[in-house]
Amino acid sequence: MQSPGLKNNSKKRAEKGPAQRLRQRTAILILLILVLGFGAAVLRLTYLTTVQSSELQESAVDLQLADTTVSAKRGTIYDANGNVLAESASVWQVVMSPVNFKNDKQRQAAAKGLSEIFDLEYNDVLDDTKQQSHYVVVKRRIESDEREKVLELIDTLKKDYSCSGVIQLLDDYKRYYPKNSLASSVIGFTGSDDQGLEGIEYEYDSYLSGTPGRIITAQNARGTDMPFRYEQNVESEDGNNVYLTIDETIQSICEKYMQKGVEDNNVLNKGVCIAMDVNTGAILAMVTTDGYDLNNPYELSAKDKKKIKSTPKKKQAEAESAALSNMWRNKAVADTYMPGSVFKMCVASAALEENLVNEKTSFTCTGSISVEGETIHCSNISGHGTQNFVEAISNSCNPAFIQIGQMLGAGKFRQYYQGFGFSDKTGIDLPGEADDEFWAEGKMGGVDLAVASFGQNFAITPIQMITACAAVSNGGYVVQPHVVSKITDSKGNVIKSVDKKVKRQVISDDTSKKMKEYLEYNTERQGAAAGYISGYKVAGKSGTTEKRGVTKFESSFSEDYISSFCGYAPADDPQIAMLVFFDTPDGDAYYGSQVSSPVFINIMSEVLPYLDVKTSYTDEELGYVDASAGDYTGVSVDEAKTAVEADGFTATVKGNGSTVISQIPTVSSGLQKGGSIVLYTDSDSQSETVSVPSLIGLSPDEVNDVASAYGLNVSFSGATTSSGTSSSQNIEAGTSVSPGTVITVSFADSSSTLNE
Amino acid sequence: MAPQKRMMLKADVNRIYDEEVYSEQKIREEKFFVRPTRQRKMKKGKLFSVGMGLDLPFCIIILVLLIIGMIMMFSASYAYAYYNQGDSYYYLVRQLIFAVIGVGIMFVLSFFNYNKLHKVAPVVLAISYLCLLVVLVLPGSEGVKRWIPLGIFNIQPSEIAKFAIILFFSHWCSKYYNKMQFARYSVLPGVIVFGSTALLLFLEPHYSGIVIIGILSVVMLYIGGMQTKYLGIGLGLIVGVVLILAVTNSLSYAMSRLDGWGQALEYTTDEMWWTTYQTRNSLYAIGSGGLWGLGLGQSRMKYLYIPEPQNDFIFAVVVEELGLVGALMILLIFALLVWRGITLSLRAKDKFGKLLGIGLTSQIGIQVVLNILVITDWLPNTGISLPFFSYGGSSLIMLLAQMGLVLSISRTANIERQ
Repeated sequence: MQSPGLKNNSKKRAEKGPAQRLRQRTAILILLILVLGFGAAVLRLTYLTTVQSSELQESAVDLQLADTTVSAKRGTIYDANGNVLAESASVWQVVMSPVNFKNDKQRQAAAKGLSEIFDLEYNDVLDDTKQQSHYVVVKRRIESDEREKVLELIDTLKKDYSCSGVIQLLDDYKRYYPKNSLASSVIGFTGSDDQGLEGIEYEYDSYLSGTPGRIITAQNARGTDMPFRYEQNVESEDGNNVYLTIDETIQSICEKYMQKGVEDNNVLNKGVCIAMDVNTGAILAMVTTDGYDLNNPYELSAKDKKKIKSTPKKKQAEAESAALSNMWRNKAVADTYMPGSVFKMCVASAALEENLVNEKTSFTCTGSISVEGETIHCSNISGHGTQNFVEAISNSCNPAFIQIGQMLGAGKFRQYYQGFGFSDKTGIDLPGEADDEFWAEGKMGGVDLAVASFGQNFAITPIQMITACAAVSNGGYVVQPHVVSKITDSKGNVIKSVDKKVKRQVISDDTSKKMKEYLEYNTERQGAAAGYISGYKVAGKSGTTEKRGVTKFESSFSEDYISSFCGYAPADDPQIAMLVFFDTPDGDAYYGSQVSSPVFINIMSEVLPYLDVKTSYTDEELGYVDASAGDYTGVSVDEAKTAVEADGFTATVKGNGSTVISQIPTVSSGLQKGGSIVLYTDSDSQSETVSVPSLIGLSPDEVNDVASAYGLNVSFSGATTSSGTSSSQNIEAGTSVSPGTVITVSFADSSSTLNE
Repeated sequence: MAPQKRMMLKADVNRIYDEEVYSEQKIREEKFFVRPTRQRKMKKGKLFSVGMGLDLPFCIIILVLLIIGMIMMFSASYAYAYYNQGDSYYYLVRQLIFAVIGVGIMFVLSFFNYNKLHKVAPVVLAISYLCLLVVLVLPGSEGVKRWIPLGIFNIQPSEIAKFAIILFFSHWCSKYYNKMQFARYSVLPGVIVFGSTALLLFLEPHYSGIVIIGILSVVMLYIGGMQTKYLGIGLGLIVGVVLILAVTNSLSYAMSRLDGWGQALEYTTDEMWWTTYQTRNSLYAIGSGGLWGLGLGQSRMKYLYIPEPQNDFIFAVVVEELGLVGALMILLIFALLVWRGITLSLRAKDKFGKLLGIGLTSQIGIQVVLNILVITDWLPNTGISLPFFSYGGSSLIMLLAQMGLVLSISRTANIERQ
């Protein structure tokens, strides 16, 4: 039954074969076209519009949008009082849209014009004109004269080559530093793209730089206007303004005297001065001498240029970049030095804090001490004899401090070293802060401890030292030093304000108070050698370090020295701490007391009155307090006489007139009480002169006597205690001057010895 | 009992295999889609005949594609037209005129008795050869000779060649349907007709034309009944010839077009950047479209980034504006066109009609697939236009005329429903 059925079936299929074949093959055809063909197309389209979509879209947008960058105005840097230290001024930049060139003639004309205006290589500019781009920067920061020339070129291109939309002038900014070299190592400068390269400009670049704006224009492939174009502007956002804690006045005072110190002492490797608010850690001034012009940061000093010229040709480029980075270097944070005797204030604080010593603890100095078989000398070879703790600090006696260090032991020594913040960066908001160099834990031997006790053989940064000094003075609080007080946006809203940040209390308030007493004693006792300033209580310590382990400069001394002085004022209510140091002085002296202390005194004498620090004279000092002469002219002789006497002066009347027509000295301050004011009543009498006597080598009282005998006035500077001896006068002996003229006399303390 | 039951089943099965019964059943099922038929019989011998009604779904699909194509062509071209012709409507107006003429021709031809073409097929083939020869004599432009200028519009001989090939093979295969298993009735004419046409196109040169005509020849011979083994041999030969030509470097033009194929986004040299410029921008446009597109008229790449966006690369602009979703809808309509065209052709009364209808409909499907694979960088950029979308007067008229023939076939297909 089955086989016939099958036969029948296959027979029928054979008959229907051709029709069946067409149907089957058509089905396969439809399958191939619709499934395989359309399927492939759908797959491909799906992939492109989903997986690859964002990537392709980005490329498309890049292609369609002519994106022009609009420079943002960089923020201004102000000092503590709102004086401008750095600001950006509007200039222009030249950009090109090379896609808009229609032929090579236009390209050549534009390239020729631009290369002539800006002194560029013609072929380089020509290459730029061939780019398939909407935006090529030709030259940034052009001034108005160049701008005029570019405008002319644009006109010419339009007229003679019917070429437009190719060259554009856009806003740009140029950085100006109105105070030139002031605080150069702190402020820093910017590079060709307005990016901060050094100092504050670098550290606060993200705040200062702002956000560049964009002009986005959708353009067709030929870069020309279409009736369907759209434009989108993203406004540039001006940078934020940075306010420094640095006070321009204090900074200039410091720079003035530091530069003088460098010159007077022929300092070979720069000087550093840091002034800090001891309570907040705000840096009031930070000087690295031989600053550079921020408006011209790549201009080396004549000395450096000369040096580079003398080096072999091959090494000149290297020497130049080394000289530049040395010039830009902020030595106050980026360099380390051995603090020397200045460090004794920390060692003494630690010993006091640990109750290992008190002011009655006595130390004997024979001029040297033997530690583990090695003999270490005191600066005073003959020895300080028996001295108490306070005298030991003032004597800066090395054997005494070695004993104190031994009392502390390496463990405690390290603990306080860390406590004062020497083992960590201070975290000051300036770039390039260096690390200290100290013995690793457990590696500090007996000799190491001995020499470390007077600040030798380890290295710290100046900013660490001043921070530690501030901690000694302010009750033991280690604060984080900072140079920026606040940041405001371009509209003046404060967006960041830097508050006082206390890291820890390393010594007690009690210890701090004791240290003030001892250090003030040191200053009082040593006078000008330890920062004594008449009318102010100063606490300070000098230091002289033998440089070890660094390349020796060619100083005339047997060793290279660092002369430093670190102190604070007023001692009873510390406000400002200051570190002054000179690296490798090569003049008459190298002791910190001789080199740095005078500079400290000079600076502080101007800074303290500027900061309105109240004067507090001792009774002895009161005798020499300055008096001020008023204006006595224009009134009758009698009236003038009364006024002069009321002000504490004696009056000398010259001439026969009834009214006073002039006076010597004129209105002035800083005169000694009892000085004479010469009142002139007619013009004939004004031609009288006196010869200036020598006022050197006298005590203040003697100076006063001599001066009044000659009818002259004197003004004192320096340590005017009764034991002081006048060391110089500003008008040389023998000079003819009018009676009453003020002569400034400087005093040095005769009782001071070199205690380092 | 059981065997008897089985026999009955077999009888049923046999009946279902019966072609005519099957067709009738199918037609009844599909009644909903078909226009109410007029009860008049088509008179033989008459050139035009109302006959049975034309296939309405197929007709609607064509018109829908034509309208969508027109809108998209306008959207893609107006920026280009504005810039190059100074008139945004330049291409739209021309395409509209051709479309109106084309639709007119389509409806007229739908009344045409396509059987008349059976006998003239060799003549049409001869005309095609003539055109292909004439174009070679003409000067051409930029070393390429593809167009015969005829004043108001140009004729592209390759368009005629495509039609001639379909027509000729429909004629040949239906005439010798029962002898198609013999190589001399299938392979021989295939090689002669395709080979000679391909040679002439090669001289133009017009490689995409060769590819399409090659595929069409294979399709026609395959459904015409050629043995599959010959098909394999034929395909092997074609691949061999192409390889030899490639090796001997005679394909310099084609190779230059292949250069950078699939590397549109990874150009390394300036030269490559320019070679792949069109394809790369097409990919950017498609990618920008994403899932939902930028919106009708919102394409950005049509602003001169894609050269001649109204031509071969129009679909890239379509995807950019309508997104993947829009693109798939359009592809779906094309698929419906192919499906409907082929199935209605299968119902034609004679073999010639069936083959002709299938051939003409397949041509559209093949071109759509090739076009999309070209603009998406899966095939080298060789100039294959998208039916109903790409700008071009003569090819649009040609296309609509061919659709007219398919509609005319649909009239006879519906006769069988009586």
